[in-house]
Amino acid sequence: MSTVMKTTRDVKGIGLSIPRPDGPEKVTGQVQYVADLSPRGLLHAKLLRSPHAHARILRIDVSRARALPGVRAVLTAADIPELKRKAPTRAHAVLAIDRVVFAGQPVAAVAADEPAIAEEALDLIDVQYEVLPVSADPLEAMKPGAPPVADAGTEADTSEAQAHGSVAGVTTEAKPAKAVNISQQARIQRGDVAKGFAESDVVIEKTYRVPMVHQGYLEPHAVLAQWDTTGFLTLWSSTQGSFNTRSEVADVLELSENRIKVIPMECGGGFGGKIRALCEPITAILARATGRPVRYVMTRREELEAGMPAPQVIIRLKTGVKRDGTLMAIEGEAVLESGAFSGAVLAVSGVFLASLYLWPSFDVKGFEVLTHKPSIAAYRAPVAPQTIFAIDSQMEQLAKAIGVDPVEFRLRHLQREGDKMANGQPWLSNGGAEVLTRLAEHPLWKKRAEWKASSPKGRLRGTGLSLGGWLGGLQPTGATVRLNPDGSVQVLTGQVDIAGTNIALAQIAATAYGIDVDKVRITTGDTDVAPMTGLSAGSKTIYTVGVAVMEAAKDARNQTLEIAAKELEASVHDLEIDNEKVVVRGVPDKGITLAQIGKKGNLYMSKVQPVLGVSHPAFSQQAPAFCAQLAKIEIDPETGEVTLHDFVVVQDVGKAINPLAIEGQMQGGAVQSLGMALTEALVYDDKARLTNPSLLDYRKLTSADLPNIETIIVEKPSPHGPFGARGVGEPPIVPAPAAIANAIEDATGVRLTELPLTSERIALAIASAT
Amino acid sequence: MAKLVLNCTVNGEPAEVLVQPWDTLLDALRERMGLTGPKEGCGTGDCGACTVHLDGKPIASCLLLAMQARGHVVLTIEGLGRPGALHPLQDAFVRHGVPQCGFCIPGVLMAAAALLTENPHPTEEEIRYGIAGSLCRCTGYTKMLAAITETAGAAAGRRS
Repeated sequence: MSTVMKTTRDVKGIGLSIPRPDGPEKVTGQVQYVADLSPRGLLHAKLLRSPHAHARILRIDVSRARALPGVRAVLTAADIPELKRKAPTRAHAVLAIDRVVFAGQPVAAVAADEPAIAEEALDLIDVQYEVLPVSADPLEAMKPGAPPVADAGTEADTSEAQAHGSVAGVTTEAKPAKAVNISQQARIQRGDVAKGFAESDVVIEKTYRVPMVHQGYLEPHAVLAQWDTTGFLTLWSSTQGSFNTRSEVADVLELSENRIKVIPMECGGGFGGKIRALCEPITAILARATGRPVRYVMTRREELEAGMPAPQVIIRLKTGVKRDGTLMAIEGEAVLESGAFSGAVLAVSGVFLASLYLWPSFDVKGFEVLTHKPSIAAYRAPVAPQTIFAIDSQMEQLAKAIGVDPVEFRLRHLQREGDKMANGQPWLSNGGAEVLTRLAEHPLWKKRAEWKASSPKGRLRGTGLSLGGWLGGLQPTGATVRLNPDGSVQVLTGQVDIAGTNIALAQIAATAYGIDVDKVRITTGDTDVAPMTGLSAGSKTIYTVGVAVMEAAKDARNQTLEIAAKELEASVHDLEIDNEKVVVRGVPDKGITLAQIGKKGNLYMSKVQPVLGVSHPAFSQQAPAFCAQLAKIEIDPETGEVTLHDFVVVQDVGKAINPLAIEGQMQGGAVQSLGMALTEALVYDDKARLTNPSLLDYRKLTSADLPNIETIIVEKPSPHGPFGARGVGEPPIVPAPAAIANAIEDATGVRLTELPLTSERIALAIASAT
Repeated sequence: MAKLVLNCTVNGEPAEVLVQPWDTLLDALRERMGLTGPKEGCGTGDCGACTVHLDGKPIASCLLLAMQARGHVVLTIEGLGRPGALHPLQDAFVRHGVPQCGFCIPGVLMAAAALLTENPHPTEEEIRYGIAGSLCRCTGYTKMLAAITETAGAAAGRRS
């Protein structure tokens, strides 16, 4: 599919750093997000949320709230006939029925004329709870007799794993087994690990912990819902996938999908957290109850307390190696804390642990465990940063223990194309070795000994690197490409542009059609008008929608040439598009402009078909994408404070369609990765209540915490991506935690295994080691 | 409770609007004046998305009651520049490919504009601290630094 198009000159298309065309709207505050919409008659929604992580609801009295002037609706579960006990997903748990299972779970909903009135109404709702014992820790929750989270008979939700399309072949058993809170479990095995450890010279066993973290998008979840008089629902949503939102809302409300239109508004960040229909159902129900448009915007506190964060991940690993560097065995387990509803992606962890590097024998178990916390969702390369933190830390320690170069050690054992993954599938073409090799050539890596030796008095300097990646997502999609009567080109998809993908798609269309990108307009349509398309997730927008756009543009080009061939009485094979004109090769005077062809398709009584290129592909081959990162740091051993001096990101993108946008993805992903490494954690007390529900206490990195992020793009073409492109979004969030932990060990000799690597943890570890 | 009359100057024009006593300046701008450029990312002054200028100084408009702006001069992102007549910082942000999701951008730009007014030749560290009150989750800040540095350099070049 990676065809080079023939044009007489290079059009302005792929490979160029072109700023996104909506930039001026974004820098002037003109771009519209959901919260910026205020239709006539707008009502404001607020939700009453449970203060308890686990409680029985004995009684709810809403009478005083309903009587408050300006209140238009107060709803509890009893008012919503579609609600089911044993909600299969978080989206179905619109309002709690009888029992709450996490602190922050919605119990009642209000719509009022003003937000302040809705808030006052919440204070007037009287709920009596019987507080129940909680499962606040995943390891405790796995034990027999732990307080149960799910209603008996609730099925595990594996749709997140399917949505990310990440790993086939790992058998995930979705059954609540003996221990009541284990909602999924999996095991991958090969060879004899006991024999492997017996024959090893060095065996290292460590447990790695990564807490729940929040995706941290700046725009909180927001939705506007309005019904028309025929019972047709329109939702303006901040979503990563309008068709997915439509399906989930239809399922919860028991509506046909053709009774719902989802209009994807500008999405103020998602990173996996805006895939599921978290707020759409209750907002639609309030709009139905009031007959008015209703807008619901989550507060930041609600986002942190009751959003859909990344799971806590606890990974125990035991690894054995011979003194000559031969890997022997890996054994361990990964526990993913999923919160109150199932939905974690177990298989990613298993594949990276057991088969990123070539282990002759492995035995790795995975458990998804429910606790009384908000249920989790995807967060940019779900579970990959946590998993790579564990396996890469382990590889670094093995290399150090036997005294070999840590880069060469990784490269020696890194699985290559054709090697068998733990799930039995072969590794596909990827640039893992290339990005690590490239990073190891960087002067900062070559001069790491000098940096360490240059430590001033009272400071410790170090350098660390790590390699991680993402297997790549897939989902069917579609696109159309039209030729306008003025000779410009129009692309339509349903793909939400959360990452600057629309300009890159326009560049693909430009190159494939043979016209400058300035003449290409691309639109994201709503679910009524756009071709069906998947999520903006899984690093698959360019990889899949790019193919659809490329093929639709080629289709449109072929139609254009066929029309021109008739008009010019020439063979299609002798034609080319040059400077917005179809010309006969070698006869530059003989031609017809794109505008003339476009007009013929739109004239009254014309017999010429309008140009409409269409493509709606499905896919079977992923394109793994790897990223290597280097951190050059300095530590104050007294306080544990880490100063980042330099940070380098090397990433294989297959083909850089728009290097400017790719650099932005690499830098942003790296900083999220650094936040996970250094500062971020949702901290819960023993009653499973969040103790840091603000951006003051949930500490994201600021511009003052960071150095420049250097980016190096590597291009190892993928066999199936458009022009060889691979996914870009997810790989850069993966390596930093391990790179920082490796740098800290280089500087201090201390190995840390629990994120975030805060000053306090570092200082205590140094103090207890000396 | 009766609404109050807020008189102030917004983006160079006199403004007179009815506000609730509990409305923040951000509420008044967004919900009563239709200026939705300033964003609410937290409502507690931690994220910087609501940053506007009050008498030329950057403030978190979610922390100021609307009536506290009475008689004062407010500048929002809508007054900094507009499509076709961008402020040099806005132009640099577009060319450097800074905006991704875009939600933090109005606040970052207002912080950067205030910084360059107060300190036309900031060092890299001064720029980093100057916009540290604005959280961004998409960009990693690197391209912001480049755009602000370039704008400051260009301004210095024009003066010399």
